[in-house]
Amino acid sequence: MPPLDVSAPAPVSPASVVAPGDFLGLLEAAGMPLTRPPFAGDSSAIQDTHGTTVIAVKFRDGVINVGDRRATAGNYIMYDRAEKILPVNDHMLIGLSGSYARAIEVVKYLRTAFKYYQRSQLQELSLEGQLNEITRVMQQNVQMAMAGIGGFIPIVSAWDKNLKEGRIFFFDGMGARFETPEYAAAGSGSERIRGVFEYIVKTKRRFTDMPRDEALRDALALLEIAADLDSATGGSAKILPAVKVLTVDGIETVTEEEVQEANTAVAEAGFSPGSSETDLPEEPHGL
Amino acid sequence: MAYSPYDWNENVRHRSEYIENILREGSPVIGVACAEGLLMVTLRRHQRKIFEIYDTLLYAGVGKQSDIETVRISAIDLAHQEGFVRSPNDVSAQRIVGFAISPAMKKAFSDPFSGPFVLRGLFAELGRDPQDDLFFTLNYDGEFAPYSRYAVVAGTQAAEDRMLRYLQPGESGDFPDVKTALERSLLAWSAGRRYSAFRSPEEEAELGGAETEEEQVRRFLAETNDLIVEAGLLERYTKRENKFRLLRDDETRPVLEAIADRKPALPAG
Repeated sequence: MPPLDVSAPAPVSPASVVAPGDFLGLLEAAGMPLTRPPFAGDSSAIQDTHGTTVIAVKFRDGVINVGDRRATAGNYIMYDRAEKILPVNDHMLIGLSGSYARAIEVVKYLRTAFKYYQRSQLQELSLEGQLNEITRVMQQNVQMAMAGIGGFIPIVSAWDKNLKEGRIFFFDGMGARFETPEYAAAGSGSERIRGVFEYIVKTKRRFTDMPRDEALRDALALLEIAADLDSATGGSAKILPAVKVLTVDGIETVTEEEVQEANTAVAEAGFSPGSSETDLPEEPHGL
Repeated sequence: MAYSPYDWNENVRHRSEYIENILREGSPVIGVACAEGLLMVTLRRHQRKIFEIYDTLLYAGVGKQSDIETVRISAIDLAHQEGFVRSPNDVSAQRIVGFAISPAMKKAFSDPFSGPFVLRGLFAELGRDPQDDLFFTLNYDGEFAPYSRYAVVAGTQAAEDRMLRYLQPGESGDFPDVKTALERSLLAWSAGRRYSAFRSPEEEAELGGAETEEEQVRRFLAETNDLIVEAGLLERYTKRENKFRLLRDDETRPVLEAIADRKPALPAG
């Protein structure tokens, strides 16, 4: 830890050369930039570990975030207890998909940057400011992502103190931000289930009208479908998904008991293909 | 022009006198380790004086607001850089005060060609349990000292000594709850603020009249209606990401009123 430079004009830290409260600028001024130089070598030689499917759905009182626990490197299951739903502060959750290493570093950065702003400026960074900061770090990541490693896609759930409601945002790889009125999903299994979200909203009811237990059951059912259709997405048979809820009261990690109960309700209520021997012919076709 | 060791001594003495005269007018700050977390207390007019530096660090100071602010921003910068590059567990008051800020203040104080910091600072670090909480006082000349349980900074050393009498633990030796810690802190503040105004024991005896010291301390506190109680709590057991909060008026006012109503009784021990 270097001593302060008292010969410099006050304030005496590197913060004097960057915008007030700008942690990214502070890191760069201190010679510790968040942005890495573009990868010049053969990126196929590096097996980037990826987080897979994360889901956010609104419900009557806020937003539910669900994520499977699998992290994969190619077709190798690297880890089956990965945490991909992470709190940034007391009012924001990020669901991670894509490069796990880079995404975790960015979440760590955001957690520190938002606190740094609040502590140094003596006021909280606005929600719009926080979302812009996420776009900023994603844009700084484009070169790495273009080189084939380090790309990640977050979905962000935030409690809007002004509107007094939960909001969900998703991003593209360049950092473009989109707000969704009902749900969002990211990761390898997300494309497989997009139509199911629409089916639920159009034939059953809007997620925003659902009570917590119903929204949780639907979110877990969607994740299970993703796991059925996407080999990189872990199901709930071995390790239960991680579930976090965002409301006016802050962030709550849903207990394993509640997740298990909802999961059991999904399994009991639904039709599982292949669960009954009478569903399939006695002999495979063509033999 | 020749610059002799005599000049250096004179310079340091003049600086010290200049700074001490300004600090004498400052509003004292008290830090107390309590069961629920770390409490810092002062009374102020306008500017905030108690600040969150990091997840487990608080800071407050007596002195010029610009110098308090300079040290505050520097400590926040250093803490967040260290916390990000290494880990939050590697950010400590001892490292921030001892290795980064103290040498800079020492250099500024003893360098005749730069302005010294007019500041007496108090840093506090939240531990897992109250007995792990740490305090560091930091003087304008770079001197710093660690304390446990409680610590104070005030306008004069004599005022600080008076204040410490009001922060003694009760007979059980337990760490106080927030309400008790706030009450002790307010009494200590009043004792320190009042005593800073006296230039000598004789002056105190002359102005004190027939009241006991504690009666005077309570009365002095009751008469400070123009000041705002500022109490910052770094909560030990909260599940919130942000552990710091300022106590609300409805939390501090009943304690102030209870002090005004209660008969004097110095804490035992």
